[in-house]
Amino acid sequence: MARMRFLCDTERCIDCSGCVVACKEGNHVPVGINRRRVITMKQGEPGEKSISVACMHCSDAPCIAVCPVDAIYQRADGIVLVSKETCIGCGYCFMACPFGAPQFPKGNVFGARGAMDKCTFCAGGPEENFSAEEKKLYGQNRIAEGKVPLCASMCATKALLAGDADVVADVFRERVFQRGSGVNAWGWNRAYKKD
Amino acid sequence: MHRLIASGVLVMVVYAIALIIGTAIAAPTSLTGFTQVFFPQQYSELYGGITGDWQQLGQLFTQLQGDLFWKVFLGVITVVPAVFLLHFMIVGAKSFSHDGPQILFFNAFTRLIHWIGAIAFSLLVITGLLIIFGGIFGGGAPIRFARTVHLVAAIVFAFDAVLMFLIWVKDMFPALCDIHWIFILGGYLSKEKKPVPAGKYNAGQKAWFWLATVGGLAMAYTGYVIWGMQGDLDTVRLYAIIHNILGMVLVSLFLTHLYMSLFAIKGSLNSMITGYKPKEEVDILHSRYKYE
Repeated sequence: MARMRFLCDTERCIDCSGCVVACKEGNHVPVGINRRRVITMKQGEPGEKSISVACMHCSDAPCIAVCPVDAIYQRADGIVLVSKETCIGCGYCFMACPFGAPQFPKGNVFGARGAMDKCTFCAGGPEENFSAEEKKLYGQNRIAEGKVPLCASMCATKALLAGDADVVADVFRERVFQRGSGVNAWGWNRAYKKD
Repeated sequence: MHRLIASGVLVMVVYAIALIIGTAIAAPTSLTGFTQVFFPQQYSELYGGITGDWQQLGQLFTQLQGDLFWKVFLGVITVVPAVFLLHFMIVGAKSFSHDGPQILFFNAFTRLIHWIGAIAFSLLVITGLLIIFGGIFGGGAPIRFARTVHLVAAIVFAFDAVLMFLIWVKDMFPALCDIHWIFILGGYLSKEKKPVPAGKYNAGQKAWFWLATVGGLAMAYTGYVIWGMQGDLDTVRLYAIIHNILGMVLVSLFLTHLYMSLFAIKGSLNSMITGYKPKEEVDILHSRYKYE
């Protein structure tokens, strides 16, 4: 079975945050919840790089290890999903996650956290595919439709790649081969400097 | 003519200054920066910016919470009662005559504060264990309710712990005879009734007092931070670790307290209901206590 994977090509990401908007709008994510975000390092300095980060769908995911109610699980294709019916909002997954992926809406009682919300790789949740319940709790199920996640499909520069890890790796390897890497990578000199 | 020369000189001066400042600013940030490429160490810098210091407390928390905490809690709630069951079968309960003279140990206010704390603390232990072993019960609404109860009971207990501290602290400072008491384990390993070195409270009760009040308030504070998750994430991780480890100690001492009051000494529960202990019991178990 294919292993699903995100890959953000930092040579291409231009910090447009289109992926963030597409995810929020397409999945009707509540205000204050970001399943995906763009991080820019060295902003305004030479060597500025941006990267789009969501749930990494880790193998041996820390969130699954720490969840006291076993609400988080991993599918055979590597996608990590949460059951919002089971989640108690304890926040342990947020403490365990290196990438800050788990997000919590406000709950009802005494400022408690609601059920955890995170990137689903646009694969819905444990409910039946395309059911109204699934759509309400988790958003679209584009994987079941045979499409790539919203963020990757709308990325204007095609920096964000998603899908079968082997195919994604091939696409990226091809790119690096074409444009070079290290000191030979395309840059200002290659594009504009006249000999 | 003079004005023309003067303004010309002024313009030239301004241009000269702009040129000097301009080159000074432009030099380090010139377009050469765009030829910089992305080396692996820059990748690690990028990911370091995202993950922060996860490898310190984040990894530790993940390992402890994932592999260790639930096993230790399971051990505490099975081994501790099993040891007490063995003790009850082999050594058995101590019994003292309740017919003789009685000595006032706990006044009405003390008993009220004790029972408020007892109910709140029992709820904290039960709901805390429900959260830790929530997976067995399938999580969801019942465990979410347990978290709410945990919070409400914690608020009640936090106020009660302060009162308990003030009521008992004067009798709870360590004394020399406590060391002796610890070495003979309070005389609970033998059946004979020999006077045990202890004042109004023995070393075990003192340990329970300090852990339940000061430790209980530490639990309340760490729990408050974990609940609100305000501030630095590494602090929250550290507090979650402290909350769990202190919880193990408190649960085991809570079980010990239950066994002592309900089973180990026959009828000792009465002293917290009526306030009186039989003189015979006090002379043996609290032999150094100077009552009137």
